[in-house]
Amino acid sequence: MNNYQLMITADDKQVVLERILQVTRYRGFLISGMNAKVNTGTNIGTIELLVRSERPIELLVDQINKLIDIKEVKVDNSAS
Amino acid sequence: MTTEKKLTGAGLLFNVLEQHGVEHVFGYPGGAIMPIYDALYDSKVEHFLCRHEQGAAFSAVGYARASGRIGVCFATSGPGATNLITGLADALADSIPVVAITGQVATAAMGSDAFQEIDIFGLSLACTKHSFQVTDINDLEKVLHQAFAIALEGRQGPVLVDIPKDIQITEVNRYLDELVNLKNKVKLPPANVGSAIALLNQAKQPILYVGGGVGMANAIDELRDFAKITGLPSVSTLKGLGAIDPEDENYLGMLGMHGTKAANIAVQECDLLIAVGARFDDRVTGKLNEFAPHAKVIHFDIDTAEINKRRIADASILGDLKVNLPALAIPLAITPWQAVCQEMDNNFAWDYNHPGESIFAPAVLNEISNKMPKNSCVTTDVGQHQMWAAQHMVFDDPSNFLTSAGMGTMGFGIPAAVGAQVSRPTDCIIAVSGDGSFMMNVQELSTIKRFQLPVKIVLIDNAKLGMVRQWQDLFFNGRLSETDLADNPDFIMLANAFDIKAKMITKKSQVSAAIEEMLEHDGPYLLQVKIDAQENVWPLVPPNTANDKMMESS
Ligand SMILES: Cc1ncc(C[n+]2csc(CCOP(=O)(O)OP(=O)(O)O)c2C)c(N)n1
Ligand SMILES: [Mg+2]
Repeated sequence: MNNYQLMITADDKQVVLERILQVTRYRGFLISGMNAKVNTGTNIGTIELLVRSERPIELLVDQINKLIDIKEVKVDNSAS
Repeated sequence: MTTEKKLTGAGLLFNVLEQHGVEHVFGYPGGAIMPIYDALYDSKVEHFLCRHEQGAAFSAVGYARASGRIGVCFATSGPGATNLITGLADALADSIPVVAITGQVATAAMGSDAFQEIDIFGLSLACTKHSFQVTDINDLEKVLHQAFAIALEGRQGPVLVDIPKDIQITEVNRYLDELVNLKNKVKLPPANVGSAIALLNQAKQPILYVGGGVGMANAIDELRDFAKITGLPSVSTLKGLGAIDPEDENYLGMLGMHGTKAANIAVQECDLLIAVGARFDDRVTGKLNEFAPHAKVIHFDIDTAEINKRRIADASILGDLKVNLPALAIPLAITPWQAVCQEMDNNFAWDYNHPGESIFAPAVLNEISNKMPKNSCVTTDVGQHQMWAAQHMVFDDPSNFLTSAGMGTMGFGIPAAVGAQVSRPTDCIIAVSGDGSFMMNVQELSTIKRFQLPVKIVLIDNAKLGMVRQWQDLFFNGRLSETDLADNPDFIMLANAFDIKAKMITKKSQVSAAIEEMLEHDGPYLLQVKIDAQENVWPLVPPNTANDKMMESS
């Protein structure tokens, strides 16, 4: 199992968190930690996601990136 | 004297539909969508009442696939909305642009387990490309434009818009003059054109592997030019059928589980695989780590997430095929390999000789294919008859062969044919169905009757869930479990009950005349073709096996 840390920025839509969690589970990544907040000034949400999987992280990054409300997904490689 | 009616959310919906050129929608009314059905009354949009929301969703899919336009369907809240789900999942798997509009209980009642309330927005997450729930009337217009843009942008797909009843009746002003344009949000990395050209030039035994993305990108001409200039031997996926010119001398047919022997062997032996709008689906690859084991890969796609998903690409070419295919169209020196492939194609050609009196379904489908008018559109259901149609009918455009490929959904064929016929009223639409699948959306015969759609239905009747029976015989020691349909209804009487002319044939000698009668008939027609229940689809690559280890008989 590899550990990865993702930093995701998204438009502040109520459903965005649900979409990210659904994609993460479906694509075979376990969530070991999460932190989410919204900047009420800019209306941009930031989600920090700690995930584990045997699969390469690019698979998840590409799929999260396809979600319409996502602005950016960054992988912090220092996490593993 | 008419009093000026104020525009409501429901009226705005139709304004936006008309603005996007929508002429036809498929749907079914109910409580939470009544204001929209009331506004339909004043709209130019033509509504086709289906007899089940799954039928409406598949008709929208068939409409989109046959015409290249967006398919639109309507359903009410709760059970209406959940009935759409299978169709949306099918559209997602095959990347079909559909916009589904669902009614929802009023915003004040939402979250209270109200009558016919279901969280369709939540349910939509796994079966749509994107979805919206409109809880503020001021968002409605923008959301609807976005729904259309998202369905068509990049890799196409279904979008659902859930509209609570109070939003449908709230008065609203239009404020957007311009259509909203979405930018392709995901920045595509630059295409590896240089390395792809190098790979092409080095290859001695390259194969072109064509998928459904070519038709979706409207890049058939570019693909055919690419095939002609490079001279590449080519193979197609189920959804790609029709993209390559069927007359192309280097075309080897479909690959994968029920692919041709020539296609599968050529792919296994190739040293370079050029995948175009294809995604290395498990029905294509067989055992993945033994698929095309000696090949480097060039992968053309519009969806970044498909690159390296199931097979690492040595060069990825992301973006519009219409631009990228011409950029790589260079003549290749592969004459010896072309000759090897052509020889395999000749040696392993289909054989329609079949002993005995009983009807041979592959020959029937091949004869229909030869006799049907140009630009006919064939839909299928799912099972043996589907694979026989894919193998033995010839298509010159993917929009002329509509089959549930990614999802493999029984019940697709009849409603998809309804949608196809609505979108192409003067073309011949033929639904190839099985006796099991036919019953899964049989209520849509009523839609055929109501709109007098001249759909031709070819019912391949083995009185079995044949494909499952085949697997039970081959891989479960012949332990037949729940696959016998000997008690099927009288299909002729059933068709007649919907004013559909019908005929049953049981012997080879009846085939030609029956096909001609069906094709010449003016209105809808059902041809029931009784076949031997023991017939199997060959070749077959057994599960988890390399594609060159196909079975050719039991
Ligand atoms: C909705 C749905 N349920 C179950 C299946 C599994 N399945 C695949 S083929 C098949 C048999 C289809 O029977 P029929 O339509 O008679 O076609 P045949 O194989 O006999 O030609 C079944 C049950 C499916 N693909 N779709
Ligand atoms: Mg059957």
